[in-house]
Amino acid sequence: MSGLSRLSIKRWVGLVLLGLLLVLAVGEPLLLNGDPNKQNLSAGLISPNVQYWLGTDQYGRNMLARIAGGLRISFLLALFCVGTAAVSGVLAGVLAAWQRGWIDITLNFIANTILALPGLVLILIFAALIPGSFAMLYLAISLVLWVEFFRVVRALTLPVISGPQLQSSQILGFGPVYLFRRHIWPAIRHDVFSLAAFGAATSIIAMSSVGFVYVGLKPPTPELGLMIVELFPYYHEAPWLLAEPITVLFMLVLGFHLLADKPQ
Amino acid sequence: MIVDLVIKNLVIKSESQILVDHLSLTLRGGETLTILGETGAGKSLLAHAILGDLPDGLSVSGAVYVGGVNMLSAGTVQRESIWGKTLGMLPQEPRRALSPLMKISRQIAEVGRYVRAKPKTDAEQSASQILASMGLAQDKDKVPSQLSGGMAQRAAFACVWETGCQVLLADEPTKGLDSMLRDEVISQLQSFAKQGSLLTITHNIDVARQLGGTVIVMQQGRVVETAKAEDLLSSPKSTYARALINADAHNWTKLPTSTTAQSPLVTATNVAVKRGNNILFSNFNLTLAKGEIVGLCGPSGCGKTSLADALLGVLSYQGNIDFHHSLKRHQKLKLYQEPPNAFAADVPLKRLLADVVKQHKIAGAPLASLCDTLGLDASLLERTATEVSGGELQRVALLRALLLKPSFLVADEPTSRLDLITSEKITRLLVDQCRAMQCTLLFISHDHIQLSKVCDRVITLEQCAKR
Repeated sequence: MSGLSRLSIKRWVGLVLLGLLLVLAVGEPLLLNGDPNKQNLSAGLISPNVQYWLGTDQYGRNMLARIAGGLRISFLLALFCVGTAAVSGVLAGVLAAWQRGWIDITLNFIANTILALPGLVLILIFAALIPGSFAMLYLAISLVLWVEFFRVVRALTLPVISGPQLQSSQILGFGPVYLFRRHIWPAIRHDVFSLAAFGAATSIIAMSSVGFVYVGLKPPTPELGLMIVELFPYYHEAPWLLAEPITVLFMLVLGFHLLADKPQ
Repeated sequence: MIVDLVIKNLVIKSESQILVDHLSLTLRGGETLTILGETGAGKSLLAHAILGDLPDGLSVSGAVYVGGVNMLSAGTVQRESIWGKTLGMLPQEPRRALSPLMKISRQIAEVGRYVRAKPKTDAEQSASQILASMGLAQDKDKVPSQLSGGMAQRAAFACVWETGCQVLLADEPTKGLDSMLRDEVISQLQSFAKQGSLLTITHNIDVARQLGGTVIVMQQGRVVETAKAEDLLSSPKSTYARALINADAHNWTKLPTSTTAQSPLVTATNVAVKRGNNILFSNFNLTLAKGEIVGLCGPSGCGKTSLADALLGVLSYQGNIDFHHSLKRHQKLKLYQEPPNAFAADVPLKRLLADVVKQHKIAGAPLASLCDTLGLDASLLERTATEVSGGELQRVALLRALLLKPSFLVADEPTSRLDLITSEKITRLLVDQCRAMQCTLLFISHDHIQLSKVCDRVITLEQCAKR
């Protein structure tokens, strides 16, 4: 990426949106020191006011602290999942395109097998194995995500590998690290970045989806999907409460999708 | 009906420079005119001006009359009524101009039906006739991907022929074609010239010579010289035309060859290379001596590049290739036909050269002196491969190769995409440098004459005929 000035408007908006959410996620515990799990049953379902900026839920928990907590979990999960999926997907894709033969066949077989299963079902199965485990969710989502990196990187790398530019560097005596850095990475980096942004959105949606059907993280963890389903019964008395995690989730996903915009 | 093409005081300017400068010419009905010039001389813009479809953002003055209609000021409908019926255009790369999905007989029938408004059955009939006259009767139901380059070329020409136009505009009709195909295109153009006016735009002197008629030499948007083909090509008056014609391989002075026997560097015995299930060549034997300069000739697609890649050890082959001295990987190098193919894009050339110096720990790399020898401006190296011209980039490629002091260098048609004058300079530089370094050079080209002027000996790869 050469400088922020070349970012498109779409990406700028996405970046600002995500930046604001990140400030909320990190700033809230540092500055306001709210505790997402501290109950106060006599102060339930309070509308937003000076003390509770986003109000309180049915147990009188500070919603601002809970939303910030949910954001932290979402960002962290997205970071871990995308990091793992991108690194392993890029490595596998480049390896498959470079070596061809049985390595390529094996990796393609694994990727196609995973693709044949609906991603969310796979994540549900993993999540159901050890309910409430962050590690299990991370593993399952990464497993689904890396396939896209693998397939795209492999397809983009194939023509580079057989192309004359890489051959010319090979003839000049350069090793695989140089060939990757100079020839393969420039050809794939924009797509890897877009995939990473989409992947972040996908992993956040996936986690909240399994939270929504009670298979994901367990209460009282302030996870966005879980919060939505917990606040569902109160939508009549306190609609703003239900709207809060939904809005934040929407903004997160929108932010990542805008960030994925490919430069011209 | 006789249609004249008259251009009066045509000036085309971009924001920063004059691209075509006060150009006037007249092509009377039935005449043949060839415009000769290098890349950047404004030839293609001229073709667009004649068609009346110049790109936006250029300011134009003057007039281009085709049969009395000024193409520069005429409206779209009027211009379209001229296209096809009066003024035909032979596309540069015929395969790309044909629809990849439609049978060629239908493509030609469509020309008759929609351009000349013939009834469907008449159009189909005349399409088969014209295909038969071009020797494509057997292939009328094929789509372009099933045709060879020459057949596609003929099919595209059949489309133009079917329009029945009086003026034919051929913009670089031979670009990227090997000599066999080139001759075919020229004979097609010659047969057209018997019944209509022909305006050919080319950088190839052979084409101009064979087409005859009048030749106009253009340089940087200006007409340098106008004369009959035979006069101009045998005794050019202007300095530029003389330089251009001298740079034609026919007119090169033969470089001195080395006759002293040298020890062999590499021996290939019974080498065969396959591409898919296709055997490109087999039972190929070759010995290259140290410091020898050998030309490798043959029509396109016969496996010249594959042979070179096999010798360089980057393509798998059957048979034996033995180097008599053990060479390191980076002492066997290659120059590419299209110089941008040899450089990573978006990285300054200077950094790519520094990469090479660092990788091989070349102490005190003689960058500056090599730049001098090759006539390169050192400031050029600050740019990336896409920001310099093909000729300059090929010099940088040569410079990079020379840095590594190679023992074996393959030059794969290094000048076929370059202008004549540049091409001659680069060829001389290449041969001189290889002689100076005692480096064995395998010079690949489809132009036998060019090779015979600079090489110690020329070998021909011909097995491809039975593909």
